[in-house]
Amino acid sequence: MPAARASLPSAFGLVLLLALVPVLAPGNITLLNLGFLTFLYVAQGVAWNILGGFAGYVSFGYAAFYGLGAYTTALLWLAGWPPLLTYPAAGLVAAAFSLIVGGPTLRLTGPYFSIATIGVGEAMRILMLNLDRITGGASGLNLPTAVPSKAWFYLLALLIAAAAFTVAALVRRSPFGLGLQALRMDLEAAEGLGVRTALFKNLAHTLSAFIVGACGGLYATYLQFVHPDTVFSFTQSISLVLITLIGGIGTLWGPVLGAAVFYAVQDYLQTSYPTFHLLVYGVLLILILLFEPRGLVGLAGRLWRPLAAAVSRGQAGAGAGRTG
Amino acid sequence: MFSAENLISVGIAALLTAGLYAIMSYGLAIIYGVMKVINLSNAGFLMLGAFLALVYFQRWHLDPVLGAFVNLPIFFAAGWIVHRLLVRRVVTALPIASLLLLFGLWLVLQNLALAVWGGEDQSIITAYTYKALPVFGFRIPVTRLIVFGVALVVLSILHFALGHTYLGKALRATVQDPVAGLLVGIDTEQINAMAFGLGTAFAGFAGGLLTLLFSFNPDFGGTFQLKSFTIIVLGGLENLAGVTVGAAILAFAESYAVLFMRASLQNVIAYALLVVALIVMPGGVAQLLSRRRT
Amino acid sequence: MTPALVLAGITKRFGGLQAVQDVTAEIASGQITGLIGPNGAGKTTIFRIISGAMRPTAGRIVFGDREITGWSPHAVCRLGICLTHQIVRPFPDLTVLENVLVSASFGSGGRLRHSAGAEAEAVLEFTGLIARRDLPASALTLAERKRLEIARALATRPSVLLLDEVLAGLNPAESQRAVELVRQVKARGVTIFMIEHVMRAVMALSDRVLVINHGRLIADGPPAHVADLPQVIEAYLGKRLEG
Repeated sequence: MPAARASLPSAFGLVLLLALVPVLAPGNITLLNLGFLTFLYVAQGVAWNILGGFAGYVSFGYAAFYGLGAYTTALLWLAGWPPLLTYPAAGLVAAAFSLIVGGPTLRLTGPYFSIATIGVGEAMRILMLNLDRITGGASGLNLPTAVPSKAWFYLLALLIAAAAFTVAALVRRSPFGLGLQALRMDLEAAEGLGVRTALFKNLAHTLSAFIVGACGGLYATYLQFVHPDTVFSFTQSISLVLITLIGGIGTLWGPVLGAAVFYAVQDYLQTSYPTFHLLVYGVLLILILLFEPRGLVGLAGRLWRPLAAAVSRGQAGAGAGRTG
Repeated sequence: MFSAENLISVGIAALLTAGLYAIMSYGLAIIYGVMKVINLSNAGFLMLGAFLALVYFQRWHLDPVLGAFVNLPIFFAAGWIVHRLLVRRVVTALPIASLLLLFGLWLVLQNLALAVWGGEDQSIITAYTYKALPVFGFRIPVTRLIVFGVALVVLSILHFALGHTYLGKALRATVQDPVAGLLVGIDTEQINAMAFGLGTAFAGFAGGLLTLLFSFNPDFGGTFQLKSFTIIVLGGLENLAGVTVGAAILAFAESYAVLFMRASLQNVIAYALLVVALIVMPGGVAQLLSRRRT
Repeated sequence: MTPALVLAGITKRFGGLQAVQDVTAEIASGQITGLIGPNGAGKTTIFRIISGAMRPTAGRIVFGDREITGWSPHAVCRLGICLTHQIVRPFPDLTVLENVLVSASFGSGGRLRHSAGAEAEAVLEFTGLIARRDLPASALTLAERKRLEIARALATRPSVLLLDEVLAGLNPAESQRAVELVRQVKARGVTIFMIEHVMRAVMALSDRVLVINHGRLIADGPPAHVADLPQVIEAYLGKRLEG
């Protein structure tokens, strides 16, 4: 818990450092791209974690929000809106959809909710593929409008990631966050103690959907192309699950670590099979579930304690030597 | 469009599909019923079953139907091992943990297959793949008839085994009440392993059979898996007999829906039914029926 | 004086099983009312119906001047009725303090965080758990968990506290302490409705006792009187053999 208090300031410091990258390495497009994608996924992972980690409702269908956000931005942008204004709109559309599907599905318990979300996510993808007049269907939508610089994308994504992280940190410390954790551990007991579980679940869902939707919008601008099989794909949905689980579900830094690792691994393995990174994640996921459910954050915690103890023992020894 | 002939022909297609769907879903139903575990790796084993059938066909010219039967013991063993090594260790944790673990396994299986066989569609073409037989005046593809026939036989054997063998009764007892099962001397640990083995065996078997009807690639399995979920929810989650009912409902709904809507939207029916069924009638059709009685 | 709680014709059927049949009673304000009966008689079911965790098949529950039948559990809690569970349900990964903070923050119409914190600490002092405040709830002994259960309920500032077998599983010393705690809660003005099997405690603590058997209310009165009623004795011990 004391670590949580230090989270926001250290996050702030990290953000400042990262913001300097476009200044220090302005021509490095690869780095800026990698940064952009990583921050985008940090934001989404952190958002997903609010419902999946704090409240314990693991959704395999967040691509629906990502895709809706992407298409909202695409259509508004084509209609002449400045991209920046489309992102809140993208978030709102995703949030509205989350209310519609969340209301009924969040009544289901754990695994059943998860299965239902797979169904919703896939249904959305197929529906969007078939709504060709609006979405361009199987050929997707090209967005040939002018696009800002890579540095702009990098910084905006960093900003969104920082904002999402701040929101998650604030939620975690708030009574709302406490309520979410309580309902995750024992829904009925929490309800009996006055926690409005249905309201809280839906709030968490909608809040995270908004963030993911905005991210989808940003991605659409970046790619200048949207297609249902990319933005609504099951792979997109499971990325968020993987990022958070591997990083450490329910923790604050988990999704951050997870996203960084996810992209580092994917980048490194790019030369091999296109989905080889998924094989690695599958194995990682199994290992984590068997041995360290709190993911990389949990592992780090396990290593840190003996390390910190060794350090303090070392210091005590040195001090004793000096005075003795 | 809606001529009697057309309607009947759709009906026959639906019936044949129902048989396939039932076989495909039993694996999932057994594992869920006995262990209350949602086996997301089912899709992976289904896909592997298809690929192994391909291997037998390419190497030894083994007919895919026989290939499916060959898969039975192989996949039973695989399921047993998976249970021993992996599933058994997380079953005590939150139910979501086993779901996620098996999801991880699915990812591994899918991507291993990608690494070994690549991503292109594969299919098995036998001497009878393109043949059709006249049945009641309708021309029905031989492959569909074979799959239906095999499904019928296997389902009957399964039904008999569930009702009349010790294993079958022990399985059903554990589905209804694992604690009571323990009390009457059923080794639930063994039963769980058996159930997982059986479920995986069915997945491999169904995968082999599916090669008669569809082309496949490593991503194959996901859609079928979701349909299987829909089927077991429709049939009543803990109702083994209900699987056939659920399979029939889905098959008929899908087949007749194509008369009203685009074929590419067909899968949405399964997904929509899944979500609706989960929310409105988790006990499946059986729940609806029992409600009417009281 | 208006009763704190009125149960009118409470009935609950589960398919073919009649768990509770037409129970009508008044729970007096500021008193301790005991609810006893053989195992499976329907006592916890009645509690769950009052707390909103379950809907009755028929009947009404009236709290003060409001009918609360069918209200959701969180609404019932915020109104002032709180239930503790027979098998304790602490939030295992939250600390003792956080456990109580949950109910302090949400239980009674919601409050600002700093005031909920003070409330939580006060309740922990009252129940003697303040020394354990930063431990995860999973680290507590059974007796401590039972006290935590009560502490959580108290943090909702209830006017009616439903205690479901608080003494079960406690050794004599722990039981004594728990009985004392119940008396102190009553002294704060909270109406207590308690299910209990430990007869000595129920008879000593209760101002009135309700007896349930097979879902029906078979007796309602002062403890000493109820203990001697033939139907109550029969419910526990069975019919006297003739001859």
